[in-house]
Amino acid sequence: MTVTDQPAAASATRRLTTAKAISEAIAQEMERDPDVFVMGEDVAAYGGIFGSTTGLLDQFGPTRIIDTPISETGFIGAGIGAAVEGMRPVVELMFVDFFGVCMDQIYNHMAKIHYESGGHVTVPMVLMTAVGGGYSDGAQHSQCLWGTFAHLPGLKVVVPSNPYDAKGLMTAAIRDDNPVLYMFHKGVMGLPWMAKNPRSIGPVPAESYEVPIGKAAVARPGRDVTVVSLSLSLQHCLDVADELVGEGLEAEVIDLRSVVPLDRGAILESVGRTGKIVVVDEDYRSFGLSGEIAATIAESDPGLLRAPFTRVAYPDVPVPYARPLEYEVLPTHRRIREAIVSVAGR
Amino acid sequence: MSVEITFPALGKDPDQQGVVATWLVRDGEPVTAGQVIAEVAVDKVSVDVEAPAAGTVRLLVPEEGVATPGTVIARIE
Amino acid sequence: MDDELRRGFYRQMVRIRTYEEAIRADYHADKTPAWDIGAGLIPGEMHLSAGQEPVAVGLCAHLTADDGLTAPHRPHHLALAKGVDMRKMTAEIYGRETGLSHGKGGHMHLFDPSQHFSCSGIIAEGIPVAVGQALAFHRRGTTNIAVAVAGEGAANQGAFHESLNLASLWKLPVVFVIEDNDWAISVARTASTSVPSNATRAAAYGVAGERVEGNDVEAVYQAAGRAVARARAGEGPTLLEVHTVRLWGHFEGDAQAYRGDELAVAESHDPIPAYEAKLRADGVLDDATVEAVRAEAATEVADAIAFAKSSPEPSPASAYQHVFV
Repeated sequence: MTVTDQPAAASATRRLTTAKAISEAIAQEMERDPDVFVMGEDVAAYGGIFGSTTGLLDQFGPTRIIDTPISETGFIGAGIGAAVEGMRPVVELMFVDFFGVCMDQIYNHMAKIHYESGGHVTVPMVLMTAVGGGYSDGAQHSQCLWGTFAHLPGLKVVVPSNPYDAKGLMTAAIRDDNPVLYMFHKGVMGLPWMAKNPRSIGPVPAESYEVPIGKAAVARPGRDVTVVSLSLSLQHCLDVADELVGEGLEAEVIDLRSVVPLDRGAILESVGRTGKIVVVDEDYRSFGLSGEIAATIAESDPGLLRAPFTRVAYPDVPVPYARPLEYEVLPTHRRIREAIVSVAGR
Repeated sequence: MSVEITFPALGKDPDQQGVVATWLVRDGEPVTAGQVIAEVAVDKVSVDVEAPAAGTVRLLVPEEGVATPGTVIARIE
Repeated sequence: MDDELRRGFYRQMVRIRTYEEAIRADYHADKTPAWDIGAGLIPGEMHLSAGQEPVAVGLCAHLTADDGLTAPHRPHHLALAKGVDMRKMTAEIYGRETGLSHGKGGHMHLFDPSQHFSCSGIIAEGIPVAVGQALAFHRRGTTNIAVAVAGEGAANQGAFHESLNLASLWKLPVVFVIEDNDWAISVARTASTSVPSNATRAAAYGVAGERVEGNDVEAVYQAAGRAVARARAGEGPTLLEVHTVRLWGHFEGDAQAYRGDELAVAESHDPIPAYEAKLRADGVLDDATVEAVRAEAATEVADAIAFAKSSPEPSPASAYQHVFV
């Protein structure tokens, strides 16, 4: 298990938002490797609807930062083709919810070409996409869906929760010869026009570095309950864990950082010590990530658990628009706290 | 000798209020010339604010604090 | 053209613009200065249709309640012109129990079965649905038609092309309307579309194609009339592209820096003052009528908003309802 890779304060006094950390990672890889280029809707002059490519057009110009038509199948497919010919495209799917119009290219082509070719063809491509809700964007613009993509073999899935990991995971994703789905929650980007958790701004080394794909991090060590989460929910878990210290409860918070590969070892190691687990997942409850974690524990040793497996997930309903409805179903601080306290008390 | 950092004019209206959306440094931290120290915004237009000189930065407006163009939002000492 | 018809066009366009201006004001009112997209009376995204009124008005003048219409993420002008109830639509936008979807859908997901009206936030994805509505009407032997409205950006999405082929092949009573407002968020049409006019793409699918320039409600009315008549007569689909203008941002809060000087040019082509001037010159409108039209619109809009604001929010428990019948 990896204890947090956060750098010593001295080498990282510079703070960035997650959005800036992502664009910096892309910029540094583009400086290093002329085969890296970016394609997507509104990635050029606009800088990405959620700020993932801000500043890149000025630095690299329109032949390497390319605005596409609204043709996801077309340009994601084009990314795949460029990748099989040795280029390293970073392609943006504006909202993960739009995957419906281009899923064939993603799961039947990007994810399977390497396998179908018996390992002879690689697709070194990054597909980055904005996920998540909490700001009333409704059913078609607020989903997380890492469970959906993780279920399909052949693509890696990474989900940063903070600026340091965001930069390191993007660098690793670009350098990885496999197709990587890079899912950034809009709520962790640190955007000036959306309510933000202070954890969306943090120390980021100026130099290039990687965060290993497939390795979780202990965001906060503890002994009483294992809390496994990712993305924006991870930030909420840390907030709750900080509060609970005052009540004598030490939660161990694990940031998955990657969904595929899933760091099952990290989860089992922690649960092996605490005997109690709460999974906090903003994706839909059933048939997804949280269930996979339960299965992992049950398959390994059901005796590990001294309290029932507990999850705080999005219920099996589409995302509602009205604020009281959306906040009823999101994995909020209140729900997380209740779950941790309840599990700890058993 | 200190250098003042003022809130920039972003919109067409010179009196339009904006906010210091994000401080990227903490009060009293050392900064270098050119270092991006804040992201400020008027409606959805946002820009980076750089430190004009090296020194110790003093933050004079809280995060998400309101400011108009010309307001002194920080000082480099 | 009949004076009363022309006054009706003006009235409807003013009604729509008055509505959009009121929504815009309320949308922004409690979000500044520290902008938070999720805050306020109307949270989330907002895509308003100022400048595109002529398309909705010229088109919907030919439609009945029984004709279908699927609209994109910028739906208000189409909903209002189609006949969707303004109070219920407004309550939905304000996320209230009394809204069309009881607060579940919001501004991009307005559904009114009584008008066979729906909209979607996924670009071009309402187009196949309109084809389906046309299929149903055709199978039932009615003269009802379906209309799919989308932007010029949507014409580069697969669903657009599949829908045209299918509707043409099966000779369905559907009209495809493209609102070309020159911009797909920040990407100009010239940077997204391989041909100067989507109307020419109609030939690729064996359907009639027409492009209307000038953003003029009467020209839209004439062209839409031809397309609607063709569909009702069982002669198949039409692809009608209208060159219109997006006076405001793609969404509210869009600074539109990417438009450069073009923005001022666009703003000088507001279709409503232009049409008013034309009608005044033709003696169809005078000061008294204009004032009456504006007052009537203001009253209706204020009433709808008051209805919305005084309506209760949905109960949190209702979030779990309506997943299944």
